[in-house]
Amino acid sequence: MNIMERLKKAWWILPAVILGIIPLIFKEKSAYVSGILIFAGIYIILAVGLDLLMGYAGQISVGHASFFAIGAYSSAILTVKYGISPLLAMFFGMFLSGLIAWIIGRPVLALKEYYLAMATLAFNEIVITLIIEIEWLTGGASGLKNIPSFSLFGFTMKNNLHYYYFVWFVVFLVVAMTIAIVKSPMGRTLIAIHSDEVAARTFGINSTKYKTGIFVLVNVFASVAGSLYAHYMGFIAPDDFGVSTSVNMLVMLFLGGFGTIYGPAIGALFLKILPELTYFFQDYELLINGVILIIVLVFMPKGMYGIFVAMKRKIGFSRE
Amino acid sequence: MNMDKNGIILKIENISKRFEGVHALDGVSFSVKKGQIKALIGPNGAGKTTMLNVISGLVPPDKGNIYFKDNDITGQPPNIIASLGMGRTFQLIRLFTINEATVMDNLLIGASLTLKPGILKSIFLSGRVKRQETKLKDKALEILNFVGLSGKEGVLPSALSFGNQRLVELARALMMDPKMLVLDEPASGLNDMEVENFKGLLLSLKDRGITMLIVEHNMKLVMDIADDIVVLDFGKKLAEGSPKEVCANPEVIAAYLGTKDKNGDGVLCSK
Repeated sequence: MNIMERLKKAWWILPAVILGIIPLIFKEKSAYVSGILIFAGIYIILAVGLDLLMGYAGQISVGHASFFAIGAYSSAILTVKYGISPLLAMFFGMFLSGLIAWIIGRPVLALKEYYLAMATLAFNEIVITLIIEIEWLTGGASGLKNIPSFSLFGFTMKNNLHYYYFVWFVVFLVVAMTIAIVKSPMGRTLIAIHSDEVAARTFGINSTKYKTGIFVLVNVFASVAGSLYAHYMGFIAPDDFGVSTSVNMLVMLFLGGFGTIYGPAIGALFLKILPELTYFFQDYELLINGVILIIVLVFMPKGMYGIFVAMKRKIGFSRE
Repeated sequence: MNMDKNGIILKIENISKRFEGVHALDGVSFSVKKGQIKALIGPNGAGKTTMLNVISGLVPPDKGNIYFKDNDITGQPPNIIASLGMGRTFQLIRLFTINEATVMDNLLIGASLTLKPGILKSIFLSGRVKRQETKLKDKALEILNFVGLSGKEGVLPSALSFGNQRLVELARALMMDPKMLVLDEPASGLNDMEVENFKGLLLSLKDRGITMLIVEHNMKLVMDIADDIVVLDFGKKLAEGSPKEVCANPEVIAAYLGTKDKNGDGVLCSK
């Protein structure tokens, strides 16, 4: 293994160090800053998963918030109503999400393109409608409050800093797993299915199995993000998980760079930090978001990550 | 039934397929012997590509049976049929191009049956997967060298000429160590020199023991390499036999009369 490869393997060290010392730099403002970065982290988990599903496997989802909701509500209901420990509740949410994804994955992923988009959109609406209607369990439209803080082996997360380090630990875990997948033959298999499913099958690739498998995995990721969100917020409502949230994730994907994994992570980070920077123009927030998205899509079709790659090539850092 | 004893690798029995009232295939039967090159010819719309799609599992037949290496593969999905050792190439090139997939990526996807990719495997057994991949990369380089594309492994398929893309398709199919190759018009779009080159490759694959079923319009190529020919017309088998027998068959001549091949020669078996 040469130095370049070793460096590539250690991709996570630099961002980990930066993120680790950020709270120290901001001192008295660290609660505020880490609060923003907690949200960013949760959305990175969602966006990276969605990129694995869409950018790699080529399976469109306009309803990625549905499993975000299932995870969040599993955690909230089990801890608030049944007094189950947050960690167990999170695992239950992951299991439930995986199971539901596995059951609906086969019929839904048999659909292609627009039809698949419509089906995932419809599923998002179904989940939200169910949450609103099953009021005795979910609190209906007014939501669930008093969700206890997350606790891990007797340690309860009391402040933003605790959540900050925990959420970002999960973010690194999810990104590392995703990178391992896309760099392996599994990633290539997804590319093959994305490119030409029929041709892929003639090489022995059981496309249904792989599509379902990746659908289960990314929705388990989304479920974890939901659990983290519920415990950090302490209060959740159906509005947090609607189609507009799903569309937001899509924006992160295209803004950051579709099919690059790191790109959507950058996109999520950017979109969650931006409103804080443009705080004074609050009334124009949506307008600013829209303009940025249009500029990126027109001038940088490969997203923000595409700029990094281009810069790396210019300096001659890349091996290609 | 023991096909192995008779040296038969693929047996087509009474296959019929209808598309919205059109008989694409109507009771077609033939078999392919182990190690031979069998050609499937016929005028446009005769049902040749449909036949290949039925064999490789892309289209289920309405009636009839298909046996490959003593397995009944009728109606089986393409991935199962591939796993038994059947590789194929397409009439219109179908290389994998998403996310800047290179020629090497395409070849490694061709080796999916050996690599057996998996989600958990890629996370927890990455070391073992890497070693296996390294071996397959060497094999891919060998195959690229064989088809005459040395040094092109890092290139995007779109940067290659049409003829070279066809060679990548062949190389990709070879990555799965096929017992039998099903080739759909491999020479279409190639110039004379490229056809000659392709012919040499197919003959040396035959020497390596790979059975081939080939649909082709280029009659010169067919006559040069085929051991056996099946002629289809309007979904029915018109004739079957050696190139000589088929050329002399009056029905075949009648079916081809007035039709012209790609070069405008208008003759089936020119001398």
